[in-house]
Amino acid sequence: MRRGARLARPAVAVALAALAAAGCGKEAGGGNASAGGDGAVAAPATANLNPTTPAAKSEVPSATWATYREVGTIDPAQAFDYPENTVITSMCESLLRQEPDGSIVAGLAEPFERPDPKTVVITLREGPKFWNGKPVTADDVVFSLKRMQDPATPSFYPATFSRVSSIAKTGDREVTLKLSEPDFWLDGQLSQMAGVVVEKAFAEKAGKKLGTPQGGIMCSGAYELGKWTPGTALTVKRHDAYWDAAQKAKVGEVEFRGVPDESALTSGLLTGEIDGTYTLGVSTFEQLQASKDLKVSAGPSWALESFVVSDLKGVLGDVKVRQALSMAIDRQGYIQTVLHGQAQLPRTLANPGGFASGKAAWEQHWNALPEPKLDVEGAKKLVEEAGATGKTLTIGMSSEVSAINAMATALREAGTRIGLKVKLKSVSAANFINFFTDPKAREGVDGFPTVNYSDYASPVGLWGTFALKDGSQNYSGYENPQVTKLMGQMRAEADPDKAAELGGQIGDILAKDLPWIAVSAPNSVLVTNAKLTGAPTSFTYMGGPWANLLGGV
Amino acid sequence: MIAFTARRGAMLLVALLVSSFVIFASLDLAPGDPLSTLSGGRTLPPETVAQLQADYNLDDPFLSRYVSWLGGAVQGDLGTSIRFRQPVGTLIGDRIGVTLGLVAYASLLIVLFGVGLGVLAGLRKGWLDTSILVTSTVFAAVPSFVMAIVLLSIFAVNLGWFPALGAGDGLIDGIKHLTLPAIALAASAGAIVVRVTRVSVRSEMGREHVQTAVSRGIPSSLVVRRHVLRNAAIPVTTVVGVTITSLIALSAVIERAFGLNGLGQALVEAALSKDLAVVQGIALVMVAAFVLSNAIVDLLYSVLDPRVALGSRAS
Repeated sequence: MRRGARLARPAVAVALAALAAAGCGKEAGGGNASAGGDGAVAAPATANLNPTTPAAKSEVPSATWATYREVGTIDPAQAFDYPENTVITSMCESLLRQEPDGSIVAGLAEPFERPDPKTVVITLREGPKFWNGKPVTADDVVFSLKRMQDPATPSFYPATFSRVSSIAKTGDREVTLKLSEPDFWLDGQLSQMAGVVVEKAFAEKAGKKLGTPQGGIMCSGAYELGKWTPGTALTVKRHDAYWDAAQKAKVGEVEFRGVPDESALTSGLLTGEIDGTYTLGVSTFEQLQASKDLKVSAGPSWALESFVVSDLKGVLGDVKVRQALSMAIDRQGYIQTVLHGQAQLPRTLANPGGFASGKAAWEQHWNALPEPKLDVEGAKKLVEEAGATGKTLTIGMSSEVSAINAMATALREAGTRIGLKVKLKSVSAANFINFFTDPKAREGVDGFPTVNYSDYASPVGLWGTFALKDGSQNYSGYENPQVTKLMGQMRAEADPDKAAELGGQIGDILAKDLPWIAVSAPNSVLVTNAKLTGAPTSFTYMGGPWANLLGGV
Repeated sequence: MIAFTARRGAMLLVALLVSSFVIFASLDLAPGDPLSTLSGGRTLPPETVAQLQADYNLDDPFLSRYVSWLGGAVQGDLGTSIRFRQPVGTLIGDRIGVTLGLVAYASLLIVLFGVGLGVLAGLRKGWLDTSILVTSTVFAAVPSFVMAIVLLSIFAVNLGWFPALGAGDGLIDGIKHLTLPAIALAASAGAIVVRVTRVSVRSEMGREHVQTAVSRGIPSSLVVRRHVLRNAAIPVTTVVGVTITSLIALSAVIERAFGLNGLGQALVEAALSKDLAVVQGIALVMVAAFVLSNAIVDLLYSVLDPRVALGSRAS
């Protein structure tokens, strides 16, 4: 659902990568290495990635964790990007809990009950306590959910509650949501930031300062907020009286530091000054992997690298041209060179790492779809049929953001291969965001690359934003009545397997319709000191508890 | 002296006022939206955007925002950062120590090694001069971020002599943490100081009055101290002054490479996310540092050469 806007990778990182490559003489796959027609494919249909690392066996006094920049806020209502989510999930808990494999289980509350499709009853578990020792009550839940629902908070999550018409306390430990229409996406949404419960009394006292260095936060998780010195680090301390004894943290203190520069991150990891980090891909991947002091693990992710088709009136208006562009992307070469092999080939607009609920049905559809293969001849034919040969394709991009730059380059190659004239419209890293927020910036642009992700392990989190007419990222006005109908059915479907079956059908349509064009389904990558273990490898760190699992080998 | 201080004080105020307006206006004209960086770029609900704009007074017209910022600044309130959600004064206070320490350390290295080696090379012709010249050429040519990577990979990653990132706690630990960054920051600038010092010492050596003094049998140490170094000091002071002032701006690159959360790093991040109040605050600190260090250089001129009247205007 969101973009990982990892802005501004400076030249430093590139230089270090060059240095590293020159030093060890290792080069990951050439640009066109996989273009051959022998059909040899390295990755399986859905990679069998382990979502966890071996369980921690011992306690560790402290660890330093890197995020790509400093944490700006610890207010879950305003957490939208990697650093904030990573830190908040270590401290705060949601009504439901995301497990490392993406499944959603009881959190602060029992699994939701639905006496009828339009009523959701949330029953708090017995035991959850805030760090100050006070129990988590229905009042706290009502307060927290309403705070999330109200844009004036200011909250980034009102859309989660689009079908919620009322939130009310109906018992000591019970809160009831009345819905305007059935909504089974709520469970996923309330398993992450939107479902975090903060203490009402504390939050009311802190007011607008909640989540800032002055205001702090009051949550119920395995770590509590320690010292936060902006400019240096944010430290979380193990909460010794944590209510869920089985999930107690094994690291005494975790210090979070913002390290924007990849060369600094790499040296920090190699020297042991940084004990771990989650990353979507670093240019120094080989160097990290080669170090015996570090452990690099890949896990399932719900992120997707894709090309946002923002204009259906231009050259991409013809579905044949979109299909041709997709067929001409050298995804294997891209994955090898840019992502160091840490991605899967996307058969539709989804990352199979996110197939958690109703996995079998999702996978059945996925496996039945053809694997994307570089097919320049076929693509050219499609472009000729569409009469689009020689027309101009304009790609919005920023050469300052390495991930965006790499995707744009792959797309330009693809466009050129099929006989389109490709123009790159490059803007600064800071202005790249305008393609998403400013219709004027999108004028004259056919599309732009993005790394987007769903808030929980399901492709629908992302599809809702661009495959539905009113989706927040549907810039082209794409609408397919069949997709709209299936999405509606899926949202109202109680049975996870049936819902996944409907999702699979949507995926089949999107694979042909291409409202966006998937470039790769990247894995989540965890890098830790070899002395540490236990952390999930999956994308769950963005929405569920992870730091409490970390410990010594 | 009083007139000099007053004039420089007035200059500082004018410089701060003009630069604050220019920065405010240029950031305002530049495309981009400070709110979009809050969300990592995701499209925010319109109602949330409206609320945030009201919270941060983003929808007021340009001039009224500038005037209200200026009004606050005069009273010591530099505004609130959108990106870091902190008062800008606190934010600068938290970070200024690292940057000052880094710049001071690098300046020390430049003065000690830059001037020292330059004098040495200027006085001693032969292999020492040649090797200092060659080394300084190499150092002058290497950009600071490349130097940072080289130092990191040799001394932090491979040899493990110095820490790779962070600023450390306390004096000893702080010096240890700042050594590599200070060297990276000082290297290229220091090399230029070496070359300028060497040339000015060399040219003073060839001056008539020096040759006369030598031919009259005045001890060479005295000649060097009184006639060569004293006269060579003026251009050297100029170049050292300019170099050290430029370090303040250059430190952003080094801070990033070594994971130091100083002013430079915060400035880059704030400028990228159009966090106006922070850019303003830090830029003003930098302008003030610039004016101050220029004043110090001017003071030194008059100390070094009595012919230069304090605060004399350029002819």
